[in-house]
Amino acid sequence: MSDQTKGAANAKAEFITPPKTLQNKVDKGGPGAVDLGALAKAEAVIDNLAGDYLDWVSEDFIRLEVAFVALKSGAEDDKKNIDAMFSIVHDMKGQGGSFGFPLMTQICDLLSGILENGVTFGPRDHRAMRVYIDAMRVVITHKLKGDGGKEGSQLLMGLQLMRQKG
Amino acid sequence: MSDYNLSRLNFLIVDDNKHMLALVKGILHALGVKNVLEAVDGADAFKELRHFPADVIISDWNMSPLDGMDFVRMVRTGSDSPNPFVPIIMLTGYTEMNRVTEARDSGVHEFLAKPISAKKLYGRIKSIIEHPRSFVRVGLYFGPDRRRKANPNYNGSERRKEGSDKMVALPGSEAAKAAEAAPAPAPAAEPAAAADDGGEEGGMSQDDINALLDM
Repeated sequence: MSDQTKGAANAKAEFITPPKTLQNKVDKGGPGAVDLGALAKAEAVIDNLAGDYLDWVSEDFIRLEVAFVALKSGAEDDKKNIDAMFSIVHDMKGQGGSFGFPLMTQICDLLSGILENGVTFGPRDHRAMRVYIDAMRVVITHKLKGDGGKEGSQLLMGLQLMRQKG
Repeated sequence: MSDYNLSRLNFLIVDDNKHMLALVKGILHALGVKNVLEAVDGADAFKELRHFPADVIISDWNMSPLDGMDFVRMVRTGSDSPNPFVPIIMLTGYTEMNRVTEARDSGVHEFLAKPISAKKLYGRIKSIIEHPRSFVRVGLYFGPDRRRKANPNYNGSERRKEGSDKMVALPGSEAAKAAEAAPAPAPAAEPAAAADDGGEEGGMSQDDINALLDM
């Protein structure tokens, strides 16, 4: 433990009451309060945007492909392309499940894990990335919503096996 | 079911992804929120905070040039922070345990893992409303008290009971007046989570995240 960390651990805590809380600005119940109807309306917002999601994700695939091709070419700094890919895949991971495609979230999680932990990648890694990206495309083109049924579970199982083999 | 009326709350949403901004904004409006401001990264959000009286901030983590974690640190500990006490919900695709603990130790109130749902988001807002927390300045940390619950079975040392722990309200604030009239809350008997919790591979579910933060 460093001296600085030791000092922090031994420091005395000072408790401070915040000058205001949200309770001062919200009422419970009455017109306009959140109820089951409001929650349903809010979930409907997500459903309504889900149609647009398929367009957005197409743009994400294009950007991902550009970064992936650049990474494979080795013409530029690997880190720049890895960071670009990670950022795109990370966004896709968050959006997939939000718009009814949790399989996208799962596959993006596997791919982003590789991108986040790697510094340099060789041809073998590039092939693995290709498989993940293609699997993501399958989820979208086959519209594998929810768990994707049998096709979805086979896809995920195949990817997990590939990951275990390394 | 009838819950809270959120119409008077000001929300600042910080995300570099325009689709997520639209999604979160749409959910908030459907929940009755009227005043929502958007920012595209931490620096933009910090600038907006100078003139926007945010009651709640919902921030992504992975952004550039200033990411969500640096933004939280600036809000909490920056000498020029306009609102160091503002509740912050970290809304992120990161779900690994080390990320959750890092966010907590930077001073976020709540951690919400993507994918997002209206119910999950409202649940975190409701938690902030119903469980206001004292702020703590200890060592390098300044932020909401990370000890959310007292653990009656805890037998370890109680650092906070030793020495000169004190409860401070800002002079002249309503809280200061209330503090004079009410007894200070008893400190919880649980050790503060170590700032250097080991990371773990693999993501956590929202339930697991909530359980971790409730420890």
